[in-house]
Amino acid sequence: MSTVEHDGKAASHRAPGELAFKATGVRKYYPGVKALDGVDLEGYAGEVLAICGANGAGKSTFAKLLAGVQTPTDGEIRVTGYPHPVRNAAEAEQAGVLMMHQEPLIIDDFTVGENVWLYKLRQGKDIRPWARKVDTNSEETRRVLREMGLAHLHTNQFARDLGPGQRQMLSLSRALVTEHKIMILDETTASTSEEHFNDILELVDREKKAGTSIIFVSHRLNEVFAMCDRIAVLRNGTLVKVLTAAETNADEITTLMIGQALKALARPAPAQTSGKDPVLSVRDLHGGAAKGVSFDIKPGEIVGMYGLVGSGRSSVARSITGQRKAAAGTITVHGDQVHLNSPRAALHKRIAYVTEDRRLEGFVNDFDNGQNMSLVVLPRMAKVGVVQAGVEKARVRELIREYQVKGGPRTYTSSLSGGNQQKVVVAKWIEAEPDFIVLDEPTKGIDVGARANIYEIIHSLAARGKGVVVVSSEAEELLSLCHRILVMRNGQIAGEFDPEHADTDDLIRTALTHQD
Amino acid sequence: MTATATTRTEQQQPEPSRTHAVVDWLKRQYALYILIVLLIIASISSKAFLTQTNLTNLLLQMSIIGVVVMAELIVVLTGGIDISVGSALGLAAVLSAGVFSGSSVLLALLVALVVGGAIGMVNGWLVSFRGLEPFIVTLGMLALARGLVYAYGQGIPVIPEDAVTFAQIGQTTLLGIPVLALIWIVVVLLIGFLLTRTVWGRRVYAIGSNKEAARSSGIPVRATLWSVYILAGLLVGLGGWMFICRFASGTAAAGNLMELEAIAAVVIGGARLSGGHGTVFGAVVGTIIFQVIANLLSLLNVSTFLQDAFRGALILIAVTLATVQLKRRRAPSTAPATH
Repeated sequence: MSTVEHDGKAASHRAPGELAFKATGVRKYYPGVKALDGVDLEGYAGEVLAICGANGAGKSTFAKLLAGVQTPTDGEIRVTGYPHPVRNAAEAEQAGVLMMHQEPLIIDDFTVGENVWLYKLRQGKDIRPWARKVDTNSEETRRVLREMGLAHLHTNQFARDLGPGQRQMLSLSRALVTEHKIMILDETTASTSEEHFNDILELVDREKKAGTSIIFVSHRLNEVFAMCDRIAVLRNGTLVKVLTAAETNADEITTLMIGQALKALARPAPAQTSGKDPVLSVRDLHGGAAKGVSFDIKPGEIVGMYGLVGSGRSSVARSITGQRKAAAGTITVHGDQVHLNSPRAALHKRIAYVTEDRRLEGFVNDFDNGQNMSLVVLPRMAKVGVVQAGVEKARVRELIREYQVKGGPRTYTSSLSGGNQQKVVVAKWIEAEPDFIVLDEPTKGIDVGARANIYEIIHSLAARGKGVVVVSSEAEELLSLCHRILVMRNGQIAGEFDPEHADTDDLIRTALTHQD
Repeated sequence: MTATATTRTEQQQPEPSRTHAVVDWLKRQYALYILIVLLIIASISSKAFLTQTNLTNLLLQMSIIGVVVMAELIVVLTGGIDISVGSALGLAAVLSAGVFSGSSVLLALLVALVVGGAIGMVNGWLVSFRGLEPFIVTLGMLALARGLVYAYGQGIPVIPEDAVTFAQIGQTTLLGIPVLALIWIVVVLLIGFLLTRTVWGRRVYAIGSNKEAARSSGIPVRATLWSVYILAGLLVGLGGWMFICRFASGTAAAGNLMELEAIAAVVIGGARLSGGHGTVFGAVVGTIIFQVIANLLSLLNVSTFLQDAFRGALILIAVTLATVQLKRRRAPSTAPATH
């Protein structure tokens, strides 16, 4: 393919400030849902435009329409330099729109190099089947990987072995080798950790200089402010306001996003842990990335676990909840040593794990809210194996009210927004009345409103004397949510902090510092 | 969780009304409409179709495959597939006719169930505990069981000693309904009950839809999977015994190509081959469609060879229709998953 530019600047050069795309009166209706209801928005070359909004505000829908993945019900989106409104993904691609999806498009059975050059397999002008394949093991490929902070990967390594952050960065690397005028980052930072964020910033900066119009869809406001020039806020499918980033602040955006002022997150009531026996003790735990981890969790305590991807925090979280087998070490629950070979075994010991990956492990796609919420405790709602439909229905109704889940018991969980899905998953586990619960990235991909709900739930769990561990990549979240924070590095606990006397800087520094 | 209950801000969506649910359900019954059209065509095009003899015959024809379809359905719901049902039915049939010389009908039933159950156990163990692909496991079992059928019968049909009693069961009717058909109906009700009303049934759907989520939710995935294959095996064994009742002999071709019909009926009935979606009602409609077509083609004197081609074409049409259905369903809706 002749379009590969060897200076690596695949973005086309254009004068900054030039109109890149213009959406007029864009509407998108799904059966029963108005995802977008008349949005007018423009993007300019050399500018980063953030699209913010709570879940369900329509920001991802807008991104999909711009990328041609979906077609608007009404209205049109014109890309400068393309003769007519974009109608499908192929046209969007020709018009120069490059979409970086929320879930990185990575083919597991391709090598890292092949994944970098994946879009070269697209049917472009060159449709000769015998056209020469791009050399996926070239110096060029290695340079691309280096620039994305993936220098440690081999081009011949299979993509399936990569972690979520690395997958995201790998998919982003295509921006360096694909010609484009508009780049959409759809919640792209959601699965990357703070260590990769700088690489993304660099990429965006480079793109900006090259005259790309960048659309950053997110609700992580600190990231939005770190990279964006203008911020468009959507709420319930309508454009509330477009602001200049320099002239606003996170509070204002948040208020616009949720339509009301958000009350400051209350600190949890101090845990009365002195003198109490730990609900869970871990001694010298090995397995996965964890190399000798020991800690105690007391009842009523919220313990944060911070660390970079690969630091072993997920291995620990999964080992102490039976999601994976620990290679060595002892785990004691209420003073009894236990062997947690499966989630089922953990459940018997009243241990619950709220997964980081909702879609894969959190809920059943074909189940409605009711069926998902009762999944863990169904045997309790049954007599000799026969489900008592009335009991189940009544309890589910209560749970939906209690956790403020959108939709009724018969609404498919998969059709809900991330925040509501998470509420369903959390409700399912709390229904099992665990003594000890681990929440792995509980607010990942969740909007501010639902976030506050989840925090309240976590606080009330602790207030009822449960031991809670929250694993998170967001230092700020842990500082405001927890009684105690453990920072992991290289498979070990590198430090313990009292949130009252620590700040994000302490946590990040401890997580990053290399051992001698 | 009183803290969250007090800060209720989001609106609760009203639950869909009963009429809405019925309309919604009717919208998705493609198979049922195919069946109705088919029945109308059949009644018009052949005078013989609506006669008592033909309908009884049709019912008898349906009962055996109907039981096998139920076995296939529960396997498909877990995301698996069982292509050994035909051979397993053949083996259960010849052994129940031959072991103990077929002197007792009840003993024969026991043999058939043991044979079917054993095959299900092997299939299920390999699939659930060894983690093998259901397709390849049951492909092996298909060849193995069919080979044993040939070896046991040596090419001669196995005729039970008490063939008369077998035949009597096959011909007896209760209130005008053949006993075999009643067995089918009981099996359908039983599987329907298990799938929609029990913890086990819920687990089957959960495993088929999302194995990881099921495992993580503390569901005994492997044990449940195993039980599904064993139950399927028992049903196939029962089918084998019904086969002897109907034909009073176990031929080498007993149950030949039955896997094709069973899988097709399940899919036409709206079940998804990747698991987690499908109903007993749909599978029954699928079974009836298939048998009515076969019956109609015989009544219209279409050659047997062409009949197979017709059936193949029907499968293709039905699965094409099913994809149309799926596309519609992808839109967010409040539709029942298990009814």
